[in-house]
Amino acid sequence: MSLPMHLRSYREKSRDEVTREFFNVPTQEAIPGPSDPPAISKIRGPGHREKEGRVMLQSMDINAVLSVEGKEEVYAGRLSLLPPFLCFISLDRRSCRCTLPLYTIRRVERLNSRAGVFALSLATWHGMRIILQLTSLLPTAEHFSILLRDALKAQLPSMKQLKPFLPSLYSEFLITAPTAGHTHAQTDHLLLGTELAEKSQAAAEGEGDLRGPGGHDKGAYERGLGETFGFPGDARKMRERSKMKLWREYFLVHGRNLTLLRYPPFQRLLQVGLPSRLRGELWEVMSGSVYLRFANPKTYSLLLSTNAGKSSQSTDEIEKDLNRSLPEYKAYQTEEGLAKLRRVLVAYSFRNPELGYCQALNIVVAGLLIYMSEDQAFWLLEVLCDRILPGYYSPSMEGTLLDQRVFEAVVGRCLPMIKDHFAEVDVQLSVASLPWFLSLYINSMPLIFAFRIVDCVLAMGVKVLFQIGLAVLKINGEALLEVTDDGMFINLMRTYFSTIGDSAHPNHPDPRVRAITNFQELLVVAFREFNVITDETIQSERKRLRAVISDEIEKFSKRAAVRNLKAVGRFDKDQIGIIYDHYFSAVCSEEAGASANPLKPGDQFDQPRIQVDAQGRVETRIDLRTFKVFLSEIATWAREETVTTNAFIQRTEKKVADHEMIDRLFYSWDKQSQGTLSLQDVVLGLDTVISAGLMESIEWFFNLHDKNKDGYLTKDEVIQLSESLLFIFRNEPGDVYLAAVSKFILNAYEFGDATAPQSSVPSPEDRVPINGEGETASESRHRSNSTAGPHNLPYLNLATFRMVVLADELLEGFFGNDLPASFQLGRMEEEDYHQHHQKPEGILGGLMNLVVTNENKNRLNRLADGFGAALGKHAEWRKPSLNKTIPSSPNLDLGTRESLLVPGQNPGRARSPSGASQNSTASSGHGTPETRSLADVEARYREESEMVRQAQEAILHRPNFAIDAIGDSDGEDEGGEDDTGVMDEVSRRQKTIHDEYELIDIQVEAFLKAHGDDDEGLKGEQKKVAEDLMKAEPMGGGKIKASGSAGSNLVDL
Amino acid sequence: MASEEAPVKAVQVKLVLLGEAAVGKSSLVLRFCSNDFNENTSPTIGAAFLTQKCRLENRIVKFEIWDTAGQERFHSLAPMYYRNAAAAVVVYDITKAASLEKAKAWVKELQRQANPNIVIALVGNKLDLVSDGPAKSVDEPAEATTDAEGDDSTPPPPSTTAQPSSSDSDDLRQVSTAEAETYAKESSLLFFEASAKTGANVSELFTEIAKTIPMESLAPKPAQGAAAAGGRGGRQEQGRGENVQLGEGQQAKKGGCC
Repeated sequence: MSLPMHLRSYREKSRDEVTREFFNVPTQEAIPGPSDPPAISKIRGPGHREKEGRVMLQSMDINAVLSVEGKEEVYAGRLSLLPPFLCFISLDRRSCRCTLPLYTIRRVERLNSRAGVFALSLATWHGMRIILQLTSLLPTAEHFSILLRDALKAQLPSMKQLKPFLPSLYSEFLITAPTAGHTHAQTDHLLLGTELAEKSQAAAEGEGDLRGPGGHDKGAYERGLGETFGFPGDARKMRERSKMKLWREYFLVHGRNLTLLRYPPFQRLLQVGLPSRLRGELWEVMSGSVYLRFANPKTYSLLLSTNAGKSSQSTDEIEKDLNRSLPEYKAYQTEEGLAKLRRVLVAYSFRNPELGYCQALNIVVAGLLIYMSEDQAFWLLEVLCDRILPGYYSPSMEGTLLDQRVFEAVVGRCLPMIKDHFAEVDVQLSVASLPWFLSLYINSMPLIFAFRIVDCVLAMGVKVLFQIGLAVLKINGEALLEVTDDGMFINLMRTYFSTIGDSAHPNHPDPRVRAITNFQELLVVAFREFNVITDETIQSERKRLRAVISDEIEKFSKRAAVRNLKAVGRFDKDQIGIIYDHYFSAVCSEEAGASANPLKPGDQFDQPRIQVDAQGRVETRIDLRTFKVFLSEIATWAREETVTTNAFIQRTEKKVADHEMIDRLFYSWDKQSQGTLSLQDVVLGLDTVISAGLMESIEWFFNLHDKNKDGYLTKDEVIQLSESLLFIFRNEPGDVYLAAVSKFILNAYEFGDATAPQSSVPSPEDRVPINGEGETASESRHRSNSTAGPHNLPYLNLATFRMVVLADELLEGFFGNDLPASFQLGRMEEEDYHQHHQKPEGILGGLMNLVVTNENKNRLNRLADGFGAALGKHAEWRKPSLNKTIPSSPNLDLGTRESLLVPGQNPGRARSPSGASQNSTASSGHGTPETRSLADVEARYREESEMVRQAQEAILHRPNFAIDAIGDSDGEDEGGEDDTGVMDEVSRRQKTIHDEYELIDIQVEAFLKAHGDDDEGLKGEQKKVAEDLMKAEPMGGGKIKASGSAGSNLVDL
Repeated sequence: MASEEAPVKAVQVKLVLLGEAAVGKSSLVLRFCSNDFNENTSPTIGAAFLTQKCRLENRIVKFEIWDTAGQERFHSLAPMYYRNAAAAVVVYDITKAASLEKAKAWVKELQRQANPNIVIALVGNKLDLVSDGPAKSVDEPAEATTDAEGDDSTPPPPSTTAQPSSSDSDDLRQVSTAEAETYAKESSLLFFEASAKTGANVSELFTEIAKTIPMESLAPKPAQGAAAAGGRGGRQEQGRGENVQLGEGQQAKKGGCC
């Protein structure tokens, strides 16, 4: 059982990340500096650190106009400096875009030009000259070029790596290879061949592959299995040669591989299907994985060598699936092919152990490896898992589930008839569509077509999966309306995909129309009719549905976890549920993570918390630190509750307490001595303590301190036990507990001396080895002086201990009632975490959220404390643990206390949270010496209430600050409840203040509204521009429309 | 097996296979369906879908089999496949004790979340790995039964399956027949030990399931595709003519959704 804790740490992406994602550019952390050692595995969470010494270079956007020497087109758009990349996107977001790594820029010059025009000329590694006209205001443009200069300088070391890297790319080979006129016809006739060569090679092509000319020894470029085993499909039918020729021409003008610019012809060349031999390279260029491969040249081989011979659950699972990965492709019937597949999957499972291996990755990687080398496929896999298909393959597969829901939603919007029909006959779309998304259609349709879809996904993003899926449904719309169950649906889809290469209009008189295949029709429908599905559509649907999915997953995993418990002790189902909730929230809590090093939300996933159990299953277990967080929620004495009263509010802060006692509890519950606890361990552990009677409590407490389990406490252990008691009693008012513990020690020694075994059998030599064995290193460290001394000898047995405890009324009450009752299974407040945390939409909601984050709350609290301190009205004290027992039934609580405490000393009531502080103050008669600390507290209370009053008055006379209003949003939450029992006068005063605050609230809201409107106005304007551009006939799209009716020469050459 | 001209209408039964990874779910289905098994042996992404007919004396049952992925992370997808299922085969590996635990969890889940009338069969797979175990160790009358079972000639009814084999002789076996059978009885499951490799007990398993499913709770398969014309409603009308108890059946089927 592993818990989906990462769902809670999800956060929306920042603007910078969205932009980087759009341009397929890795984040700066993903790119090691030139001196950094290659990163072997992604360390998330605690390891996620800002790299010291590496200056994070600044990003910047600017309006610009781009043109390329030798091309007439000029595109206005947005230029983004995202070190170490320079990216451009034309305003229509499709005509022209590029991602230039700065290390491919050889030279940047500012052009002499008319006044007011700020133009830069970039010379790239491949000799292309790009003119960028920065159209923003001059100072902005200058600032931009300064940043660009700095970023370029930082990339100088990387430039050196460029030269050795480039030969790994096929396009370099393609461009430098001699042309057909030369004697090397044999090398490249397939690419640029003459008619003659074409004929002579017809036989080879007939086999349907492009094997041969490239071979193993021609060119040093990275290659896939296809070069050896043949690429799927008939090279001739796929017009490989003409495509290759067109690409070569394209490369010559628009740059290639790392410096490739996407101009409108790119889109057309892409949609007719990439040529097999160029496919791998274009995949990595389009997806951006090539930048990772460039920056991490050794990672893949290091991963393999450092993990050689290791096995894990993932490696086992990979092994099972190897033979089920595109078995129809020749290479995967050979050891060579399988070995490559194994290596890539295994390397990735070690790279990203939290993801490990997910079925369907075998299919995807098997597909990639036909066109790419292992190194290339590895990095593309990383980009797929991280960016293109986020969360698809993770242990809870939340991305898959989410996108299936999103798909259903867009089907409902675009094809409502199908959705209604499916709802009526109770058929779920995901039954068929899940594998489409998970395996990028590679497993759903014949390979040659599936790879053309992969081409588009890698170039245009995940929306393509949705567009294709919608088109499939639309094309089969009529038949789908006849479907009555899952089986028919699946069969229909199967039949369609198996005939996808057939003519879409087999009976049409016009042969050109007859030549249109189902697949071409599919692409046309997908990209023409469903171009309404944009990245934004998907993003907003994901945002809308994410909370629902996360909730479902959490509930599901809770049900499964609870169901999978082998023993539940004396708990009922609800209580188990509550324990699970606390366990889970402890796992998710920030304190349990690297507290010293605040985690970046979204990245937090602490490795040690996921373990593989004896059966090889992944299991969430908690370590000591997380356990402390967990226990602090359950046991009153395992937390420090500080009540702070300042001029404005009274609030309670909880902190996790720390004591050896808690460590002992942890290790005693860890039955298999794994150093971590599973949910099962925790349930059983709690069962022993929470429902224990007097004798049972005494027993487990005794055993807790009996390190070597010999049935005797040593003298040291008696002391430790007393320390534990004192720890539990630390915040109790009065000296009675201290007195009781002292008495306990005295009695224990007295009785111990009388009953201790070694007094009758004084043979320390016999005992020592046993004790030494039982001691852990940490323990012996503490007790280093006690190797052979009498402190280390069996001394007090359970019976004696029991006697000593029962001799004291207070301790008896403690073990009989208070200790079991100090473990409280309270329901968590955050039942529907995600629903509650779904943030309000809109700018106003956004700002409000900004204000109400925990961090700001803390800041406000500090601020309020500051005010309070300034006014001399700040106080804090610790809440005691024991007199808060069973808060739901105060009467019982009272009874318990009375049995525990000396008569006349009854602080429980006065101090209980619901007790009205003012009242008790007024009637305070507890001036007895024993309760002086209590009296102190009450005096403070009185003083404080006075302070509050004064402060409130002060506020009333002060001019209003916005900050007050914000502070109040806090105060109302917590203060509101505390008010219940407060004297009338105070509440009236507070009401006045509340009114005052409300007034301010209104002002703030007005301010926010005004602000929000402002922003919306801006948005609206941008939208208008964008809309205008949408209306303008796009260069690529227009052509497709034309071609749709006239035949398909565009969609397929 | 597929006799189109059979007088009896094929009854459609949705069956789902569940169980830990690598217990041999796909192999069992492959064995059962191999008569008309085609190239679709593709790996299980989410679930593989296959169909196979099973002939009883008085009717033909057409199994629509959903062979689900065993990998733990696909667990949350399972409800999609077992909803509305009339039968479930929960598979464990008799050489792996932990797989029975997982099977029990599946049974629990099915009993709580799936169609309340679902017929569940517990199947211990990989009998071939220990098949001579029971024969060697049990030299009592039970031997005959076990042999027959192994030979697949006269399949015994599930209730009389081999007596507990003494676990010391066949070291690979980790789940004794008695243990699993007791559990199956307690939870009112059909129980088989089978081998996808040798085919032992495989067709018996599916035949027994076909027999056990209360037929009145199932709608006969509507005439293929086009005949179900009119889409909605068409099916109900058609069904009503053939099966008197259909009204109730429809409800049962719909009601299965959790």
